[in-house]
Amino acid sequence: MTPLFQIRNLSVDVPGRRLLHGLNLDLPQGQMIALIGHNGSGKSTLLKALARQIPSAGHVAFEGRALSDWPARDLARRLAFLPQSPPPAEGMTVRELTALGRYPWHGALGRFGPADDAAVDAAIHECGLDPFATRLVDTLSGGERQRAWLAMMLAQQAGTLLLDEPISALDIAHAVEVLSLVRRLCRTQGLSAVIVLHEVNMAARFCDHIVALKGGRLAMQGTPADLMQAEALQAIYGLPMEVLRRADGQPVTVPA
Amino acid sequence: MTGMVLPRGRLGFLMTGAALLALILWLLAAQGLLPLTDWPAWPFRAEAMSLDQIRLAFGLMPRGVIALVAGAVLGLSGALLQVVLRNPVADPTTLGISAGAQLALVTATILAPGLLEIGRWPVAMAGAFAATLLVMGIGARRAFAPVTMVIAGMLVGMTANAIATAITLARGEYLLSLVIWNGGSLVQQDWSGVRALAGVLVFGALASALLARPLRVLSLGAEGAQGLGLNVALVRMAAVAVAALLAAAVSAELGLIAFVGLAAPALARTLGLRGIAPLLLVSPLIGALILSVCDGFVLAIAGQRGEMFPTGALTGLIGGPLLIWLLPRLRGSTPPGTEAAEGPAPRSDHPGRILAALVLALVALALVLVWIGRVPGGWTVLDGESFAAFLPMRLPRLIAAAAAGAALALAGAILQRLTANPIASPEVLGVSGGAALGYAATVFLVAAPTSVMLGAGSMAGGALALALVALFTARRDMPAERVLLAGIAVSAFASAVLTAMMAVGDQRSWQVLGWLSGSSSAIGMGAALGLAAMAVLLWGAAIGVRRWLAVLPLGQGVAGGLGLPLRQARLALILLAGLATGAATLLVGPLSFVGLMAPHMARRIGLARPGHAVTGAALIGALMMVAADFGARMAGFPYELPLGMFASLIGAPWLIWLMMRRR
Repeated sequence: MTPLFQIRNLSVDVPGRRLLHGLNLDLPQGQMIALIGHNGSGKSTLLKALARQIPSAGHVAFEGRALSDWPARDLARRLAFLPQSPPPAEGMTVRELTALGRYPWHGALGRFGPADDAAVDAAIHECGLDPFATRLVDTLSGGERQRAWLAMMLAQQAGTLLLDEPISALDIAHAVEVLSLVRRLCRTQGLSAVIVLHEVNMAARFCDHIVALKGGRLAMQGTPADLMQAEALQAIYGLPMEVLRRADGQPVTVPA
Repeated sequence: MTGMVLPRGRLGFLMTGAALLALILWLLAAQGLLPLTDWPAWPFRAEAMSLDQIRLAFGLMPRGVIALVAGAVLGLSGALLQVVLRNPVADPTTLGISAGAQLALVTATILAPGLLEIGRWPVAMAGAFAATLLVMGIGARRAFAPVTMVIAGMLVGMTANAIATAITLARGEYLLSLVIWNGGSLVQQDWSGVRALAGVLVFGALASALLARPLRVLSLGAEGAQGLGLNVALVRMAAVAVAALLAAAVSAELGLIAFVGLAAPALARTLGLRGIAPLLLVSPLIGALILSVCDGFVLAIAGQRGEMFPTGALTGLIGGPLLIWLLPRLRGSTPPGTEAAEGPAPRSDHPGRILAALVLALVALALVLVWIGRVPGGWTVLDGESFAAFLPMRLPRLIAAAAAGAALALAGAILQRLTANPIASPEVLGVSGGAALGYAATVFLVAAPTSVMLGAGSMAGGALALALVALFTARRDMPAERVLLAGIAVSAFASAVLTAMMAVGDQRSWQVLGWLSGSSSAIGMGAALGLAAMAVLLWGAAIGVRRWLAVLPLGQGVAGGLGLPLRQARLALILLAGLATGAATLLVGPLSFVGLMAPHMARRIGLARPGHAVTGAALIGALMMVAADFGARMAGFPYELPLGMFASLIGAPWLIWLMMRRR
């Protein structure tokens, strides 16, 4: 199977500093992939490079085709991106925000047809936002607002979701709610997702595949079980970590 | 990091170079006046000197020093304002300080010349502080939130400007002296100005030293600062008051010296300075050097005859291009304030009804205004016969005014959404300034220009300004803030050239000044219909790209993620806005702020979706301009007052009220 993303010798520079150092990596299809690492490890940079939000050197192929060869709207039909801390979307209802996700399909001038309507309805329903559809986005709570943005991405009907720290501003209950939603979407609709996460236990619990960066280089990749080892965690975060077992066998980690 | 070392070295190099240049230019002028060997000895005693010695010791020497001192005062004022308002485009002009001083001086010159015998200081100071107090009074209701302050300052400033221009126009015999003052002349007769401004500078330095640390805490944002126990409103008020006092002092002593307050901190940041204390320290130095170099050039160009050519005009000539050149290198500027300036905008459930009401109001107003008129001695409703006689004269200007208002409002609505910045407007983009420049150039270069030539001239000027702004911002994914800065730089350049042209002071200056305020009296039916067709086309285009207008305010992350062709979309929208502005500017002149006000009003009355907001803004713009046209015709009957001025007078108070209304 073609990898979702094939990354070869990917480097990202800002004036005076190199954020990613010649990264080589394949990301598998149909999985929920966590990008983890310490602050400044380059995980958000990698995600933005994959979303084609920042210029990069090297080669990235998305679904077997060089990322730079994708026309903007074609790419947006296959790949949805949510930036970190999305803007307040002033004066927009949830439904209007969700409908913006149809832009790659109808473009600037195309008709907003029944298929678009159906996709918006489905996305709102999927994210449990039916009661909020006519509410203004800036009047929602943090968790609801994040779900509204997810609904916009769903309406895009892209096969792949790229999320930049989607739970960093949410309390634990809303964080679990959002990640469960993403996982359910991956399972039921066969989506792939690449998510930048800070919280390593969340990553291990919800994601199928873990990619860890350190100092702009690949530190490890593998299953959550591979991650949840004291040595692996210490290598990634540079801090002694202890892995505990919950009653149901799930590993959790705390600083030792 | 190399990024830190290099600019610091370059900073020192540039500043030394500028200082040397200023010194050489001044010495050349002094040498031209009097050979070094004949220079008077310290201390100066006028009674023992020759005439040339007096001119050197009490003219040229204080002039050289006052350039340094005034530049430093302005640089400090601008740095304080930019830091406290967290807005890289804030400067003494943004708060309406200069406009307030100007209005006070103009009013005093014409209504109470006796006041000026005491000196210009008290009058200009009073005006400056009245304007600042008004702005701060408005700002106080929202804890001096940065965006509110800038918007309020611009509104107050443009109202004051409109009144001052109208008064100037009404009493033309004072034109020359007022224009000279507006341009900021550095000519000195003794050392009193230097002493006064030096005192002000010392005060400003002390106050800034006290404020540096609270301002650094404040740079965390209002909430973070409050959490650290800072009295946010007090610190903001103190900083603005100090900055206002500094700017007012320069206004009073020398007149309007634009751009130094904006350029000095911007240059300091561009050259790699970080942090508030270095900024407050270096901005005055840079400001002093800018003004000194400018004045040195004025001296070099005109020698001692340069008294007629105001230095303040030249600061824009040098500063504008300089800022444009530095713009691509600008990074890490102060982030624009993120807190909400206004209450949440209301959102109507029935936007269709609002739009219908606006259309009805427009039609009704047009009908009424066509029908009634002023006759010597009173008002009258036209009978059928005189209606038929007046209609061919009134209809074209009515159509033209409505179309121009709609076009400006469309441009403003597009720009505000494009940049997600509530102070974006065609006036800010520099298109209006460029068009004015083109018009003025035609007036001055062509012996007897026809109206077609004038139209072509201002169109070309507008297009040129737009091209310049687009060129410097078309690099990868131009950020909104850069569009604004580039536009302001072009505007500053244009207004500097205009001021210099007007300082010539003959009847061509008149023609330009009259047009600057806008008039619809000369328009024919063909031109009016053409303008109307243009406005309708632009509206159609704006509706066509309404989805871009919905997505763009969400930032380039979201817009790019949705597959929006960012670069093309921005370029197309800027072109659209530029075209609309260019067309409207021909009629109403560059001073109307309809493009700033109409989109705000559309938002405030509950039109939230892009299609509705754009349409509503166009209708409101047309309404405002039609009303302004009527006011301009009737208020000074039988003479006509400037159209743009009336639009500002109608719109600004309404907008302030809408903004301040608590929900």
